[in-house]
Amino acid sequence: MSSSGSWPEPSGERQWRSIEEREGSAELRAALEREFPAGAAELSDGIDRRSFIQLLGASLAASAVGACTSAPAERILPYTRQPVGLTPGNPLHFATALSLGGRATGVLATSWEGRPTKLEGNPLHPSSQGSSGVFEQAALLQLYDPQRARLVKQRGTPRAWKTFLLDTSLRLSASAKKDQGAGLRFLLEPNASPFVADFRTRMAQAYRNARFYGYDPLADDNGPRGVQLAFGQPSDVQWDFSKADVVVSLDGDFLQPPGPHLRHARAFSQRREPARLNRLYSIESTLTITGMMADHRLRLRPSEIQLFALELVQELVQQPGLSSLSGVSQASGQLARSEHLKWVKAVASDLARHRGRSIVIAGPSQPPIVHGLAHAINAVLGNLGQTLQLIRPVAGVESGVASLSALADEIKQGAVEMLVITARNPVYSAPADLDFGKRVASVPDSIYHGLYEDETWEKVQWGIPAAHPLETWSDARAHDGTVSIVQPLIAPLFNGIPEVELLASFLGVIDKSAHQILREFWIEHGPAAAFEQRWERWLADGFIANTASPSVQAALRPDSLISAIRDWVKEQQGQVRSTPDALEVNFVGDYKVYDGRFANNAWLQELPNPITKVTWDNAALISPATARRLGLERDDVVLLQYRGRQIEAPVYVLPGHADDTVSLPLGYGRSGAESVARGVGFNAFALRHSAAPWFDRGLIVKKLSRKHKLAVTHDHWAMEGRDLAIQYAVERFEKEPNALEQLRGPTETLYNPVNFDREQYKWAMAIDLSRCIGCSACVVACQAENNIPVVGKVNVLKSREMHWLRIDRYFSGTLEDPAVITQPVACVHCEKAPCEYVCPVNATVHSDEGLNEMVYNRCVGTRYCSNNCPYKVRRFNYLHYTQNKPKSERMLMNPDVTVRARGVMEKCTYCVQRIERARIQSRIEGRAIRDGELTTACQQACPAQAITFGSLNDANSAVARLHRDQRRYDLLHELGTLPRTAYLARVKNPNPELA
Amino acid sequence: MQSAASADPLDPLPLIAGRQDSDSLTRIIFTPVWEKTRRGWWFLFLLGLAGTGLLTAAITVTFKEGIGSWGNNMPVAWAFGITDFVWWIGIGHAGTLISAILLLFQQKWRNSINRFAETMTLFAVMCAGMFPVLHLGRPWFAYWLVPYPNRMTIWPQFKSALPWDVVAVSTYFTVSLLFWYVGLVPDFASLRDASYSRLKRIVYGIFALGWRGSSRQWHHHKIAYLLLGGLATPLVVSVHTIVSFDFAISQLPGWHTTLFPPYFVAGAIFSGFAMVLTLIIPARRILGLEEIITLKHIDNMNKVVLATSMMVGYGYLMETFIGWYSADKYELFSVANRMFGPFAYMFWLLILCNVLAPQVFWSRKIRTNVVATWIVSILVNVGMWSERFVIVVVSLHRDFLPSSWAMYKPTWVDFGLLFGTISFFGTLFLLFLRFLPAISATETKELYKELSEEHAEATAA
Repeated sequence: MSSSGSWPEPSGERQWRSIEEREGSAELRAALEREFPAGAAELSDGIDRRSFIQLLGASLAASAVGACTSAPAERILPYTRQPVGLTPGNPLHFATALSLGGRATGVLATSWEGRPTKLEGNPLHPSSQGSSGVFEQAALLQLYDPQRARLVKQRGTPRAWKTFLLDTSLRLSASAKKDQGAGLRFLLEPNASPFVADFRTRMAQAYRNARFYGYDPLADDNGPRGVQLAFGQPSDVQWDFSKADVVVSLDGDFLQPPGPHLRHARAFSQRREPARLNRLYSIESTLTITGMMADHRLRLRPSEIQLFALELVQELVQQPGLSSLSGVSQASGQLARSEHLKWVKAVASDLARHRGRSIVIAGPSQPPIVHGLAHAINAVLGNLGQTLQLIRPVAGVESGVASLSALADEIKQGAVEMLVITARNPVYSAPADLDFGKRVASVPDSIYHGLYEDETWEKVQWGIPAAHPLETWSDARAHDGTVSIVQPLIAPLFNGIPEVELLASFLGVIDKSAHQILREFWIEHGPAAAFEQRWERWLADGFIANTASPSVQAALRPDSLISAIRDWVKEQQGQVRSTPDALEVNFVGDYKVYDGRFANNAWLQELPNPITKVTWDNAALISPATARRLGLERDDVVLLQYRGRQIEAPVYVLPGHADDTVSLPLGYGRSGAESVARGVGFNAFALRHSAAPWFDRGLIVKKLSRKHKLAVTHDHWAMEGRDLAIQYAVERFEKEPNALEQLRGPTETLYNPVNFDREQYKWAMAIDLSRCIGCSACVVACQAENNIPVVGKVNVLKSREMHWLRIDRYFSGTLEDPAVITQPVACVHCEKAPCEYVCPVNATVHSDEGLNEMVYNRCVGTRYCSNNCPYKVRRFNYLHYTQNKPKSERMLMNPDVTVRARGVMEKCTYCVQRIERARIQSRIEGRAIRDGELTTACQQACPAQAITFGSLNDANSAVARLHRDQRRYDLLHELGTLPRTAYLARVKNPNPELA
Repeated sequence: MQSAASADPLDPLPLIAGRQDSDSLTRIIFTPVWEKTRRGWWFLFLLGLAGTGLLTAAITVTFKEGIGSWGNNMPVAWAFGITDFVWWIGIGHAGTLISAILLLFQQKWRNSINRFAETMTLFAVMCAGMFPVLHLGRPWFAYWLVPYPNRMTIWPQFKSALPWDVVAVSTYFTVSLLFWYVGLVPDFASLRDASYSRLKRIVYGIFALGWRGSSRQWHHHKIAYLLLGGLATPLVVSVHTIVSFDFAISQLPGWHTTLFPPYFVAGAIFSGFAMVLTLIIPARRILGLEEIITLKHIDNMNKVVLATSMMVGYGYLMETFIGWYSADKYELFSVANRMFGPFAYMFWLLILCNVLAPQVFWSRKIRTNVVATWIVSILVNVGMWSERFVIVVVSLHRDFLPSSWAMYKPTWVDFGLLFGTISFFGTLFLLFLRFLPAISATETKELYKELSEEHAEATAA
């Protein structure tokens, strides 16, 4: 840039021939834009000389800084003395933590010479227990996302971080002097970090009038209020699903975030084995991951669920010994008997039979009364202290919609002079009625600390690029309060500023790194003795032992619950039902992008939605009956009108959805600078109203003539009467233990099968469908581990998605109330593999240990193997998907796995690179690979422990035991392919009363 | 009907019509080569070139972008490419059948059309031969399918049908080319001797390989021709049998069937004859060959079309029957999906074109009606393409696991390759008609002599 001949001289009296030249010509600007890092692509129109020169300097500085991070200018020499513990070619693992909804999940990061390439759950961490979800897996792609914000900007103009600090500190001190920060407001990402808690205290001392708000559009505010209603004291709830024989979920998708979903999934799935089978009743509106697991599922409109809860209480009161609920029961008065009375009775009697061994749980979208009722039932059933524990609140600021509304009001009144936002993109995710973008823009001094130049960034005075959690030091707390120290895996790739440094700057700390600040905080607040050793232990473990919140004792104090119910009953009587053709709207968090914060993550965008199998879109979900009534089918675009606002959305007809209800997944339709997210789906926040953030009546749906093609990976719902994903009622399974006999074992053949029994290992997998919840964490884990490319919506529409592992999802029964089953399918490594003998060039061959191997170098791409694969698990590189990978994303590639080019076939390898690593280690140690020592990426991620991998030649290995299980069957057994991946049929535990 | 051929009172259609002698036959056969290039030829040739341009564009895109520029997907990993391949190979079957098998069976009517059919075969196999390379993900490694000695001592995998294909198709092409060329040598010599321009004399002269028409040369020529005919005969059956193995050795419902080899061979002859008819009917009219390629030829070819149509019809019937008889739910589904699935129109199109349309040939009137024949022959070509599409795409798009079912949609490149190869084929054929005698002068004269002798004998008796 500086060498360009057309560049004006910065020094001396500048000569100019025209206004255009003086102001900066279009070409000049174009040149400048090109030279700029991608983030700085937009210049404001009016540029005066001064800002032009500033821009010049800043862009030079920016490119210099950019050069520092991406490629060091210094000459590099190999280690003369190797750092301790580091062998080039052998990755290291570091413990850290990632937060979602203000609660941390411990992860272990794999780092290759300082380059993190994979995240796994931290087995010691209480919220992870070694598993991870889709968001933890995909966080890595976000770290390397080249579209992340890179520069500190003031109204779009790049500035130095120092300039920001200077500017802010001047204003701050002025504000402190004037009115002790009366105009200072913080809008925080929900956060239970001890450091942030301390920061708030210290800010309150320095600026007595400053105030803190939190915001997360999916925050669970109703849960704590429900606890308050039931027990009269605030506390957090820890559920233990492993002890519950009966679980009743009231719109509670407890197998998904927010909430310690990994822990829940682990405990819940342990109880899905025939010997200790629990029973799950799910009462919900849209089909959820939890609902897919239910033994009995009742679909109700969201507003009917409270009625169901009240009926349940009334029914329970009649059970012996549960009369202490009578106060609550009477408060609701006489309820109109609903059509699902049989259901209520069955659930009530089942609960009454399982006192102390049951759970009633409500979802975050249900009002506090429902939570209160659930807790009241749990309390009288004696579940407290058994299946659920109350603990001292892990704290954080209240961060629901109400909190944001209060802040919006304050801004409206002109009370806010300086607004600091660390919440993720609240301008986008605020309910539409708050008009939060306009509010933020009207604040004289606003600062946004964000990962992207998103919708919020556009509205603020100062945009500060945030350091990714994997780039920075901080601390966080798990769902049970356990503290984790978050340590960085890599220096900030895009000049991100750690949140700790940003916050500390408000306390005048501007010359210390996040590391120093955090250490000083913990030296001050932690145990004084042997700090260094402790600190190292914390970092090595990934958490600080014994920091969980203590449990608290509480008894049911239903007075406030009773009065709340009374108020509600009164309110109901006064209410007139809205227009008859209006539907109910139900806002739901998304399984793939959460609240939109992961919308720029291509792995997640391309992940088929666990329920609908839609990629690269969200859709208005409606039931088949409602679709029929409104004359709608999939891909029809509808106009959704609600409270004076309207949006357009494509329709997806979802079996099992509640009638007359439209579920709108949040988090799509982004319009920030992130090009992956932009234009994908529709923005349901534009309909959300702060008065009813979760569900409400009054939605009007109008069919438009347009169509919007949804990219669905799994079009056909039915199994066509084939024995593919098998589920049984447990009674039937007990009566006919050999029902699956004809679906396993040897088949008749003309040839002698190859005998693998003499090999040292005979690799095999077992997938327990009873445990699989269909969450798709394995799919993303596989993508991360095996460098699987993303193909984009156009190619998904052409059925060219590349996932080695897919989750098949079948419906059976009626369209209205279908039984659902999910089945992970990857290459099953047939002993007699149909793909192998048709390959003309020996590119897919069998290993001695039974792996069906792909030799990428040898593949010429005839695709004959795929044609002959009955499981259709092979994936072909139709285009050169890895060609234009951004530089930063190349760092993400797993060096143990080949990056495939165009024209070759690929498929699941049973994570052969992991097998070989384990083999090397075992040979060094002169022993065999131990069972359980080696996990595949999917197995490692799976929170439900549905996947087991190991050697069948070790008769005692977990996988060998599962292969001998009575529930074991082979997929497409009749073809005689002898697959090494066995499936275990799902057992269901229906209540005979509901048969 | 005063011609030499009307010896059989029950078969009034002559093989050579009109009063002919050696001179008139020479004139009829060589005029299209000698005469000035016609305007219509230029028009068709430019049209063909334009289409060939489309083919070049489609090939360029395929090589540059990859198979992703086609509509193929998972599960439909083979689609237009393989459909076109099998279709063209099938078309290439009439040549050897007419040349070799009919030669061995001493069918006289082959003599006037064999050059036509053989040339068509060559060009069709050239078109077909492109697809196995084009459809590879990494076409620059196509030679890995050929067994050649290499440092890594890796052979192709002989269990796979694809290396068999390579051998079968390349052998077929080589033998067809030799057979065609050997037959052409005396005609090249005639062209050399009769040409006025020096350039033509030199070029034709080179290809004539010094043919002087000595008895010794004729003797060798006859033996070589017969030997090649004998060599080509098994190829008629083998090539399409092996092509059918591409499908038959797999275990996909709709592919996995022992019926395929005979049924593919019948289909190939069926489509080959249809293509000969499609080309020969306009050619004999425009080039004034009606006296040599008579209604008798068309009548005979229509009979072959009718017979093979019923053979493929039987194939369809058996596929359906076995689908039911196997009691295999996947087979049964595959049959039902062909008939009533989302691509059902392709199935019913093939039934209409391949089974129903040729039934009109039961009537001699229609067999000898060139317009009707031409229409039916085109329908058969369409029908045979649909048949391959149904086999390839419709079997693949819905197989064992409903979760991976998907639809298939071709792109412009797919159509570009199909119509591009048709244009390329047409262009080559126009060049052939312009520069080479479309009918073997030698063999026609031989036939004329034979027929005259037969006639003389008959009259003498």
